[in-house]
Amino acid sequence: METIAMPAINLAVIMPEILLSCIAMVLLLVNVFVPGNNKAYLGYLSIIGLAVTAASAVGGWGPSVSAFNGSVVQDNFAIFFKVIFLISAGLAILISDRYMVQEDCNQGELYPMILFATVGMMLMASGTDLMVIFLGLELLSICLYVLAGWNRDNLKSNEAGLKYFLLGAFSTGFLLYGMALTYGATGSTKIQAISSYVMGNPGVASNPLFVVGMLLIAVGFSFKIAAAPFHMWTPDVYQGAPTPMTAFMSAGPKAAGFAAFIRVMIFAFPMLRAEWSDLLWILAVLTMTVGNIIALSQDNVKRMLAYSSIAHAGYALVGFAAVNAEGAAGILFYMLSYAFMNIGAFAVIILITKKGEVNGNVQDLAGFGHKKPLLAMVLSIFLFSLAGMPPTAGFIGKFYLFSAAIKAGYVWLAIIGVLNSAASLYYYLRVMVFMYMKDPEEDFEWAGATPAIAVCLLVAVGATLVLGVVPGTVLELAQKAVQF
Amino acid sequence: MLGAYLPILVLVVIACLFGLGSVVFSSLIGQKKPSQVKLAPYECGCEPVGSARERFSIKFYLIAMLFILFDIEAVFMYPWAVLFKRLGMFGLVEMGLFIVILFVGYVYVWKKGALEWE
Amino acid sequence: MDTLILGLPVAYYIAMVAKVLVAFVFVLLTVAYATYAERKIIGHMQVRLGPMRTGWHGLLQPIADGVKLFFKEEIIPSQASKFAFLIAPLVALIPAFISFAVIPFGDSVTIGGYTVPLQIAAYYDQAGKQVFDVNVGVLYILAMASLGVYGIVLAGWASNSKYSLLGGLRSAAQMISYELAAGLAIISVFMLSESLSLHKIVADQAGGAWYAFKQPLAFVIFFICSLAEINRTPFDLPEAETELVSGFCTEYSSMKYAMFFMAEYANMITVCAVTTTLFLGGWHGPAFLPGWFWFIAKVYFLIFLCMWIRATYPRYRYDQLMRLGWKVFLPLTLVNVVATGLWVMFISK
Repeated sequence: METIAMPAINLAVIMPEILLSCIAMVLLLVNVFVPGNNKAYLGYLSIIGLAVTAASAVGGWGPSVSAFNGSVVQDNFAIFFKVIFLISAGLAILISDRYMVQEDCNQGELYPMILFATVGMMLMASGTDLMVIFLGLELLSICLYVLAGWNRDNLKSNEAGLKYFLLGAFSTGFLLYGMALTYGATGSTKIQAISSYVMGNPGVASNPLFVVGMLLIAVGFSFKIAAAPFHMWTPDVYQGAPTPMTAFMSAGPKAAGFAAFIRVMIFAFPMLRAEWSDLLWILAVLTMTVGNIIALSQDNVKRMLAYSSIAHAGYALVGFAAVNAEGAAGILFYMLSYAFMNIGAFAVIILITKKGEVNGNVQDLAGFGHKKPLLAMVLSIFLFSLAGMPPTAGFIGKFYLFSAAIKAGYVWLAIIGVLNSAASLYYYLRVMVFMYMKDPEEDFEWAGATPAIAVCLLVAVGATLVLGVVPGTVLELAQKAVQF
Repeated sequence: MLGAYLPILVLVVIACLFGLGSVVFSSLIGQKKPSQVKLAPYECGCEPVGSARERFSIKFYLIAMLFILFDIEAVFMYPWAVLFKRLGMFGLVEMGLFIVILFVGYVYVWKKGALEWE
Repeated sequence: MDTLILGLPVAYYIAMVAKVLVAFVFVLLTVAYATYAERKIIGHMQVRLGPMRTGWHGLLQPIADGVKLFFKEEIIPSQASKFAFLIAPLVALIPAFISFAVIPFGDSVTIGGYTVPLQIAAYYDQAGKQVFDVNVGVLYILAMASLGVYGIVLAGWASNSKYSLLGGLRSAAQMISYELAAGLAIISVFMLSESLSLHKIVADQAGGAWYAFKQPLAFVIFFICSLAEINRTPFDLPEAETELVSGFCTEYSSMKYAMFFMAEYANMITVCAVTTTLFLGGWHGPAFLPGWFWFIAKVYFLIFLCMWIRATYPRYRYDQLMRLGWKVFLPLTLVNVVATGLWVMFISK
């Protein structure tokens, strides 16, 4: 009887993913076996799970370890991203319970769903095989479709879920088709093998199969990070989805998209940096400009933040277009700070909106600064950071992204980025104008912050300011993470 | 080898010919006296009320979805079962984990009441 | 002598056509006389006589029924979706008949120096030593069994009648539920046989080492699930005369109705043949009679069992039926797979 050779298996490399999956499955069962409508305890258990996972992930910091025949890798790059995902999942969970109770949709499956999405993101970051990246992406996307439509009794949420599902499935098709063509042209789905094939056969760059494959992969990822012109789904989905999920989607999955994008582009196609760069240059300019210009005219704060999130993807793409270590490190840093400042801003919005998100417009914030000065100040800090003003994390992030572009010789790209930032000031400041300079039309019905949201706000504000004032340690870590 | 599949094709052709032939034959020799009432859908002798193309219980969708899920898992186990002895202990442990995960989903579905029909 | 067509001798093709025709006619006759046998057996079990008028003890009854159905009026309801309505009976019937292609109904016979395996989709190699058959025969049978559902759903939907729709939906839900449990039950057989080829599975059961003894739980579950999959009593809810007036085939008449009827009986024969092959040692039996005799005897015994069950048990209620499939059989089969794995790994070594 012939024996079957087993592949070398190193479970330690995917230990964080295994841990988090197990925790999610246990929570799924706990949820159905423990009676009662109060599901907050699941949130706290999830946070503990995320912390354990983070500890396990950070424990792998150091030299890269590849496993499963080069399908997954445990390297600093993946670990840095994993920490971003875990933080954004944790912050999103902290702000979920109150909102879900308020909107009558606090089914306990929410938390396992977020955790499974996080597992998907972690696989995307550590996958070095196109198939593993695809699997992670699917796991993430399917959870997100459900999360976007979580509020079943709300038409907008339903619309968000359906739209996201249809367009997401479509873009996944693009991505998979691109992967198939790349496999056809290079004979492997392993990034390492693709890379060495491209090195050995420079002629492949003019092979239409390969070029179309690369472009389709780029389209697929652009959709996931909501880069223009593949951003159309973003506003409706972000506005319709439950606010905590919007916060989560704009921070975690976007970072995951970048993680996989960088991994594939910089590792698999290193010879073709010049071609990439031009493509990303256009993508970055389009994304920033479209996001900012449309955001200018938005009244709904959630929708405004949705467009602003498109713009932020554009800023990150500036660093990507530079195709150098500084740019990549800049993206890592920027994604981390974006997670803090964006989820923080959404947390404040959750506190302001009433059931059904009836008062989510800028006008409803009139006089907020006088009624709730502390909260208004917190929101202002987040908005300043989003706009890229010192001394916040947003400023340092943008500074590094743009300086990477200048180093790579893309002076014009940096200038367009700065101009865009300036334009974005208008709509961020507009919120502050309403908060501080208008009189309230009616009294706020204040439901009060729960301890969970307070913790989230504290962490987010603290991180935004710390990353803005003393960014040194984190930046150093980010630079270490991109030493490929 | 593909030769082994040829008889299946022959059998398919014969079965199709038999099916089509008998339907055509009976429609040729059978009598035909259609009337409006005779061609109406059966509803216990009353006038048909409304259309039959209406919404029906969501339960059927649920069962269909669960079937797809579990059937795919089952099909995944077929190749494993054939190679099971050769895969040895490793294969057994892997499939044990797979079944445990399958079981988690199953228990969840059960507790959620997706298998209840009342 | 050895002219090769596509790498196989001419004799192979002659034998193949002969086998196909013999099997087809045989199944057709069995279907016809299964309807007669059912009426007779149930009649006697209920202290009635069953058909008596047509021929000696009603022996010509199936032929009379067939002729009658041919002459019946063909009714296509005015609101029905014509194409789907017409195609549905064929979709139900054809898979029922072509499943037989991979079932070995005997070992082999030697005619004029040429050895012919008694399995439609199989042949001996030139040396006459090794049988090649469809090496995924079980998958083929499962696939064909699943196709039958389409015919029934299509019939229910195309009729545009409320009873038909409900009958079709019920039937589909029931069939897929039990298909799942049946599919999981036989996994433990493959774990022992290490093959999906039916010839190999039967060969493994030589000398009375039937899988029914090694896998009693799988055997019982598979047979019960098969009954449910072919909508036989006590699982004949889709037809439920009393509540759904024949369910999915309410609107059918003439030969098209007969096709559903034939499909049901053909499926019953298939299921009994598959059960025989997988669990009851196929053609193996005492050597004084040929293999095909034992195979047919076992199949007929199982068919009798189906009829006996029909005469004995009342119909299940729908919620009980679904509960039995999903909450009893499904976990039991999973447990059986794990238990078989542990047994082979730790005890039988």
